[in-house]
Amino acid sequence: MIVPRIAPRCLFFCFFAAFLPQVADAHGGVVEEDDLCVIKVSYLRAHFKVYQPGVSRHKQYCEDLPAAAESIFVMEYLHDSMSEMLIDFRIIRDVTGKGRFARIEDIDQIPDIDSATVYYQPPVVEPDVYLVNHEFREDGDFIGIVSATHPDTGKFHAAVFPFEVGYTGLGYWPFFLGLLVLIQLQYLLMSGKLKAWFARTPATVGSLMLCLMLYSPASIAENLVISYTTLDGPAQINRMHTWILHIETEAGVGVEGAIVTVGGGMPEHDHGLPTIPRVTEELGGGDYKLDGLRFHMGGYWEIIVTVTTDSGVSTVTIPLQL
Amino acid sequence: MRPGSRKIVVVILVSASLVGACQWWPSSPPAWTEEEIGVLRSLWLVSLPELPPDPSNAVADNPLAAEFGRMLFFDTRLSANGAVSCATCHQPERGFTDGLQKAQAMGTTLRHTPGIAGMAYSPWQFWDGRRDSQWSQALAPLEDANEHGMTGEQVVAVIAENDEYRSRYESLFGALPDLAGANSAALNTAFANVGKSIAAFERTIMPTTTRFDEYVAAVVSGDTERQRQLFTDDEVWGLRLFTGKANCTQCHNGPLLTNFEFHNTGVISFPGDVPDKARATGVVEVLASEFNCRSQYSDDPLHRCAELEFVRTGAGLIGAFKTPSLRNLAAPFMHKGQLATLADVLKHYNDAPDAMIGHNEAKPLGLGSRELRQIEAFLATLSVAGAGPSATITEE
Repeated sequence: MIVPRIAPRCLFFCFFAAFLPQVADAHGGVVEEDDLCVIKVSYLRAHFKVYQPGVSRHKQYCEDLPAAAESIFVMEYLHDSMSEMLIDFRIIRDVTGKGRFARIEDIDQIPDIDSATVYYQPPVVEPDVYLVNHEFREDGDFIGIVSATHPDTGKFHAAVFPFEVGYTGLGYWPFFLGLLVLIQLQYLLMSGKLKAWFARTPATVGSLMLCLMLYSPASIAENLVISYTTLDGPAQINRMHTWILHIETEAGVGVEGAIVTVGGGMPEHDHGLPTIPRVTEELGGGDYKLDGLRFHMGGYWEIIVTVTTDSGVSTVTIPLQL
Repeated sequence: MRPGSRKIVVVILVSASLVGACQWWPSSPPAWTEEEIGVLRSLWLVSLPELPPDPSNAVADNPLAAEFGRMLFFDTRLSANGAVSCATCHQPERGFTDGLQKAQAMGTTLRHTPGIAGMAYSPWQFWDGRRDSQWSQALAPLEDANEHGMTGEQVVAVIAENDEYRSRYESLFGALPDLAGANSAALNTAFANVGKSIAAFERTIMPTTTRFDEYVAAVVSGDTERQRQLFTDDEVWGLRLFTGKANCTQCHNGPLLTNFEFHNTGVISFPGDVPDKARATGVVEVLASEFNCRSQYSDDPLHRCAELEFVRTGAGLIGAFKTPSLRNLAAPFMHKGQLATLADVLKHYNDAPDAMIGHNEAKPLGLGSRELRQIEAFLATLSVAGAGPSATITEE
């Protein structure tokens, strides 16, 4: 008898399938992914967060909001194509009676959506990030509806996310998370994996550092030597610079006909260059004119030059202290 | 407890309280090292280089244009309701700003009025850098419904109908186009010339020397007595924090204390507004502006537009605003005047909260309240009470 053995497992999966994917995937909604709150408008995804700056300054909310107050909804697109789409945003009072389980079908069945609507932003193309500011006047259950339409194909996507305003409780989440942590910890302790991990750590860190050293840009400047001269005096902040890059092999032969691209930034500050400099002219003999170089603060900079020739790609880092 | 160990405890307690007292008690700052003096020099107004030429504006350094521009700057006829001039918001007695959160002219504008002093050095104008010259900047408020509420044609008409303006205009730029029959390019040229005259005036508005500059002069000449007369210990400590631990000079550098670049520092949104996308939209606008450096209205026959050519674009600029100068600071602060006091501003940078949109480039500083007060004390030395930036038109 095979059937009875499969049935409970099937029931288990069917149970989860009935709840989770409907909200998250099939129709779009707000879900948490790796500590990020993400809104899924069909397959399109955006980082989703809500602020109540007048009440709680920079504190972020994922869905439920603590107070009836000015609320700023932010969608930072994770799909570039959303920058070209017509997106509209509607907030209605929950008249579906479905609460957390409200879906797009339930919205479609609302006879007069306008009378339930507390906020509507008509379709608009907003590059990079979509913003809505709505001041809630009362606590209650609400449903947010985001729809995105491709201007050329007319393809339509929607997300529905029920939420509560005047929400104070945390529900069962802390309990649930605590339980998960306990179970995981118990498993690690009992299986001895925790101990093994601690024993392995120095070796892991060591090999990681070795990898980093091997792949640091300075060490893969294997066969090219790059020097530069400035056309406008020594490098200084807050002005445009033009450099002449001289690229030669270790044997001292100028590299000609290479594709030279330049990037860089301040590694200690985790930011790039303020401009997009580029090689505007090859001057011959391994000399390349680099234009549009600018530095906007003092400190340690790295200019990373990537040289592509027939024989391969080399990257050389030029350190610069300003 | 044995007598020996009791003694040790007493020694530890006394040392700990002494160390604590030393940290709390104001101590005299050490002398500046050569390297530190170099940093101070870089912030000194004396180090300000000569004003770079503006090849896109042929009358940029013409005193007659500057005089004409000065008259236009203060003239309320250049507005739809006859009540707004450039000086309505850029008030000379308030450091060419207005003390309001958002500017009030015909209506309420989107952002706080920035100062003008020294902005001729900036490759970008406005908080979001949506213009790339002072002359093209000057045109935008004239046509903004919330500012002057005019059209370019109406502005040219004001010049045409006033005998003195007409004669000043024509001596600088040649005949005004006949408004009835002029094509849009001719009208735009005349409109741009109005902006170029206003810019010629604005180029003369420079910050004045402050107590900080006198202090640097005393440091450079090694006059310690004069240094003590000029700066309190708290101001010196504030300056040390400003150039050191507080990371202020990462962006507020050079003699104007700005790098003219764009940074997202996670400032909170203005009540009723959505967070401002700032440079992300400003850069799109400047590239499309009909009066930008590449346009036919630029006077540079070579159209040298390196700033536009190598400009950074993209989503990384979301929420990034141009670093303002710290000379002659006037409240309120930030791009919409969101923060009322300097103490609020310093607290903001000390906390470095997550940005509402984009990413806050600043990191929390972990400064104590005393240190914040010292920086605030230092910042006050960058202003002169009752003597803001001044315009000097030099006759040739």
